[in-house]
Amino acid sequence: MIPIFGKSAELQLEKDVSSRYLPVVISAMVFLAAMAIGGLFSLSDAISDWSETLTGNLTAEIAYDPTADLDKKTSDAVKLLSETPGVQAARPIELEETLELLEPFLGKNDIIKELPIPRLIEIIIEDDSAIDLLALNEKLAAAVPGATLDTHRPWLDKMVLLGRSVQFLAASVMLLVGIVTVIIVIFAVRTGLIMHSDVIQVLHLIGARDKYIAEQFQNYFSRLSLLGALPGLMVAIIVMFIFNYLVGSLDASMLPPLALGWKGLVTLALLPVFVALLTRYTVRRVVLQSLSRMM
Amino acid sequence: MVRFENVGMRYGMGPEVLRDISFHLRPGSFHFLTGPTGAGKSSLLKLLALSHRPSRGLVTLFNREVSTLKRDDLPGFRRKIGVVYQEFRLLDHLSALENVALPLKIAGAKDEQIYDHVAELLDWVGLGNQVDAKPRTLSGGEKQRVAIARAVINRPQLLIADEPTGSMDAEMGLRLMHLFLELNKIGTTVVVATHDLGLIQRFGNPVMYLKDGQLSSRSAASIPDSFSEANG
Repeated sequence: MIPIFGKSAELQLEKDVSSRYLPVVISAMVFLAAMAIGGLFSLSDAISDWSETLTGNLTAEIAYDPTADLDKKTSDAVKLLSETPGVQAARPIELEETLELLEPFLGKNDIIKELPIPRLIEIIIEDDSAIDLLALNEKLAAAVPGATLDTHRPWLDKMVLLGRSVQFLAASVMLLVGIVTVIIVIFAVRTGLIMHSDVIQVLHLIGARDKYIAEQFQNYFSRLSLLGALPGLMVAIIVMFIFNYLVGSLDASMLPPLALGWKGLVTLALLPVFVALLTRYTVRRVVLQSLSRMM
Repeated sequence: MVRFENVGMRYGMGPEVLRDISFHLRPGSFHFLTGPTGAGKSSLLKLLALSHRPSRGLVTLFNREVSTLKRDDLPGFRRKIGVVYQEFRLLDHLSALENVALPLKIAGAKDEQIYDHVAELLDWVGLGNQVDAKPRTLSGGEKQRVAIARAVINRPQLLIADEPTGSMDAEMGLRLMHLFLELNKIGTTVVVATHDLGLIQRFGNPVMYLKDGQLSSRSAASIPDSFSEANG
């Protein structure tokens, strides 16, 4: 019985120069796959957060008008919104608060106080409410001239589309990495089969089954894959930590930090096992297929 | 045991190296196979060892026609055949003991059963003190004996030896032939391919004489003194 990762006793695959650098290649592939998984799960979480946050939150905007009493317009709008069924709360955002929101983009100086800044009202919608936002927008505009409802929907739709596109890209990278890994393993195994054809023939002639020979290849290449996958994963985790540190150090970053969630972490932890199993399956197929062409 | 009927063999698209070979080996028989260099002896041995398939004709081994064997059947059949190669074909990184133990290990025997049996056999072929030696440290004759021990460890029903005495002195050659005779006495069918006419005449067993890919049966006494004479 050959242990799962045991040495290839008869074939001595461990001494092959041709497959010695396979762990390095696998390591690079696993690094790319891990980064893609990081991106995939982080974006998935980020998209959910954006959707949840923005679906329950709306903003009403009252256009700047130097001739109008903006405070009155704001209080009228807040009153109307608060009385609307389905609206949990409507809170006017003070001008100072609005100016603070602009500070990261325009800097902290007095001149921004002179800008024609619209008044904002934060609206919180009740959970599971079936509020008609289009009708509410029309009602608000009729009651308070210059007031509009911003549902964030166009922005959110674009962000979700961007997020989904990046997710698709990450999934494509993972698929590509998987295909390249399989191709590299196939080449390495075929080289090994050619290099050891004499010993394989002897093993066959003294009664070895194809599976016996295939197991030696499977064990050796699975071990190489695992040896390559673990450092690749570790480097990827370090890079993710560095990325999160850099993102965290920015005051107003547009980039979300890499937050994998438990599903992402489990997937990441299983990546080396998956690569080793993929290698094992690929090697088995290639070896058995090649041996079946021999007598 | 072994039956060839109008067997032909070619490598790839090349010419036939064996033509219309027909013979029958009874269980427990002992045959020499001889003939000039290039006559096709090695090719015939390859067919017997299930290393190659015939291009035409019928080869029957152990009452099964070879062309009807499935791939999964081959290992079981090969375990009934012991082969001693002219070039030994030992695994250089394994010790003498491990080389000899290999057929048992492959057949799934337990370690404790394997090693007692193998050490005993190595002792029998005169290598009891060399069990841990690697093939590269052994002489040609010693390698040959390891190869023979590996071929017989499974108690094969058919033993095929290609020039088994070619790399050893006359005395050791005779000892090995007696070893083959002992195996033959316990029922093993033996085919020994050799150029050594003295050996053939000394033992007097039936001879299969191969020339230009065609086989004829002869008695030891009717073999020409030299193959050049036979060619002429």
